[in-house]
Amino acid sequence: MSKNQKIITALSLMAAAIIIMTFASMPSAGSKELTISDVMANAEKYDGDYIMTEGLLNKETVQWNADKIELQFEIYDENETKLPVVYKGVQPDNFTEDVIVIVEGFISKNGVFEAEKVMTKCPSKYEGEDMENYDSEMHKEIYKDAQE
Amino acid sequence: MYLIGNITLYLGIVIAAYTIIANVIGIRKQNNKWIESARGGVLSLLFVSLIASFLLLYLLGTSQFQFEYVAAYTSHNLPMVYKLTAFWAGNAGSLLLWTVLLSVYTAMLVFSKEKQNSMMPYVSSILSLNILFFFVVMILGGNPFAMTETIPADGKGLNPMLQHPGMILHPVTLYLGYVGLAVPFAFAIGALILRRMDAEWIKLTRRWTITAWLFLTLGNMIGGWWAYLELGWGGYWAWDPVENASFLPWLTVSAFLHSVMIQERKGMLKTWNISLVILSYLLTLFGTFLVRSGVLTSVHAFGSGPLGTYFLIFMAFMMLFSIYIVISRYQLIKKESIPIESYFSKESSFLLNNLILVAGAFAVFWGTMYPLISESLKGTKINVGAPYFNSVMAPILLLLLLLMAVCPLIAWQKATVDRFLKNAIWPFAVGVLAAIILVVVGVKGTFAIIGLASTVFMFATHVQEFLQGTRARMKATKENIAKAIYKLTRKNQRRYGGYIVHIGIALIAIGVISSHAYPEDILKTVERGENIAIGDYVLTFNGLTEQTENGNGIVTADLKVDYNGKNVGSINPEKIFYETWPEPSTEVAIKTNWKEDLYVVLSSWENSEKITLQVKVNPFVSWIWIGGGIMVFGTAIALIGGRTNSTGLLKAFRAGR
Repeated sequence: MSKNQKIITALSLMAAAIIIMTFASMPSAGSKELTISDVMANAEKYDGDYIMTEGLLNKETVQWNADKIELQFEIYDENETKLPVVYKGVQPDNFTEDVIVIVEGFISKNGVFEAEKVMTKCPSKYEGEDMENYDSEMHKEIYKDAQE
Repeated sequence: MYLIGNITLYLGIVIAAYTIIANVIGIRKQNNKWIESARGGVLSLLFVSLIASFLLLYLLGTSQFQFEYVAAYTSHNLPMVYKLTAFWAGNAGSLLLWTVLLSVYTAMLVFSKEKQNSMMPYVSSILSLNILFFFVVMILGGNPFAMTETIPADGKGLNPMLQHPGMILHPVTLYLGYVGLAVPFAFAIGALILRRMDAEWIKLTRRWTITAWLFLTLGNMIGGWWAYLELGWGGYWAWDPVENASFLPWLTVSAFLHSVMIQERKGMLKTWNISLVILSYLLTLFGTFLVRSGVLTSVHAFGSGPLGTYFLIFMAFMMLFSIYIVISRYQLIKKESIPIESYFSKESSFLLNNLILVAGAFAVFWGTMYPLISESLKGTKINVGAPYFNSVMAPILLLLLLLMAVCPLIAWQKATVDRFLKNAIWPFAVGVLAAIILVVVGVKGTFAIIGLASTVFMFATHVQEFLQGTRARMKATKENIAKAIYKLTRKNQRRYGGYIVHIGIALIAIGVISSHAYPEDILKTVERGENIAIGDYVLTFNGLTEQTENGNGIVTADLKVDYNGKNVGSINPEKIFYETWPEPSTEVAIKTNWKEDLYVVLSSWENSEKITLQVKVNPFVSWIWIGGGIMVFGTAIALIGGRTNSTGLLKAFRAGR
């Protein structure tokens, strides 16, 4: 074997090691991305899974308890399926009617989503040509597209 | 106006197509007239894209709301600077910006002193192909000159969060980086088509590549800086798909910048370098595809229009084209490759550095794409998120730090272990000492301590390199220290510029490691007079005030800050209600000292007596921004230097031909 081949072999082995490491650290860190309808229909099945889902905010349902630092709200998807969410934290910026809210956390047996993370989809008009017609109809459409 | 705008776009398509055809005919017939004509085509492209750009700027500046784009991103009361910079606030404008930058770059190349170079027609064709693509996309999917059906009285305005200097600069710098990578790509392909396997294309594009890399670095840094100041979640990097998209080419170009040195000096790694350039270029297209297509869930609002598909198609085309060119020339590349002489040499250490950078790029790519991969394999989208990236990238970045610590000490060709150990002993000792001090002071976290100590080791290596060079110089020339350091750097700007970049990375590493390992975070509701204690700080809430400024309502919390028991003034987080925006936006208040940031967000309030605050102490975050500045400085030095070397060689090369 020439020196070149030896070096290449050694490097390939290292590359393989790094790639294996990449794969190995995969499953523990994942969150399942589901639709609200799916989460609500199969709450039992997803018990204990770390889930990510998104929907439009119903502003009227927002309740904020400052002493307990607890935020409650409902988001809904294009089938109008509602998902009640509890979050031990504060509301993010741009938390307004019909904005797309991304939540990550667990679904509890009584059908309430216990969120660990609540984000609003970057409010920015930046990068978003569909935001040009900023109204709820458009939002629902974007939302539907995103689901497909 | 509408007419002029659209005519420029269609003209752009025609001229770009003509330029490609003229170049191809010129190449086929070996006819200089056609090449000359193609050069004229490039100049016209520049004119057309400039006219379109100035027109858009004019429309934005004068608030012509009959244009969709102007109405969507600006409003009457927006400050002029944001009206103009709304140029790149949306898709259509960014496409135009991309086009005009490409045209400027192409014109600079075609009219440079290398214009007679036989590669140039190929380069010109490939870049014109890119320009053609962008003009077509603008017509199909993002026309900046589209009209609204009814003229609105006022525009929608720019999101308040984006009204920040960081957001003026961040997109432009990233685009400059993205566009810049098309140049080395075009040269690499041109050289391959011509079967010119020497390092000329690398020398000609060295500055282009470094400039592109510089802008990618800047773009990412500014993005992080903006997120930290403006978004209020206390971080600067979230491993969001969009962020990863701009990090990927940065990693591969960083690898390329190192491996080209080997080809320049030794003529090795030809296939590898070409592959890296092609990959980096494709990744810029891939990043744009990710951002525009909406295939991944991200907090960035993507439009899910057809734009992404166009980029995907173009990327696939360029990829197949490049692969075909490389494979058809593979025997030639292989024949002219030179083997490595020794296991222990700078060459092998650079190979290792490349491997790790590319592996890092792979890990980021894999994590970014995993939702799609898992969906096609298992039917559920699984997002891997920050924990995955942190756990995979931390060891990879640690290895990089260690490599940076030892590489400058390893000689070219054949290094001897004795000499290496002699050089490494002091920096290594400093690194160990740093670890001991950290443990003694009571810092916890094994991995963080290893990371910080490695960073110190790396830093010390570079300081030693400077010191040794300076001392040798002072001995030989009797110059004083300042002059010796200056002259040393001037004499070898590429090398020492690179070292300065490494020193910048050391500072960034300290900031990143410590802000990840030791953040402190409190979320608390307080009434007037109550305290929040965090780290060495005690904050006392003194009341909430409300005032109006330029039509915007500002709610300000007043907090007294005690640091280690001493009053160090007050801190005032705010929420601002913008006239044009329904929801208030957060104004983070930050108090920085040399080692940490006190980061306070006013989250909500019940009344003027009771508020909820998010308080963080982020250690060493300001070092990241300083390190970024040093990286830019170092890159600038490397960029200015190195001219004599390459043009001298080129002259000799051409004389011999």
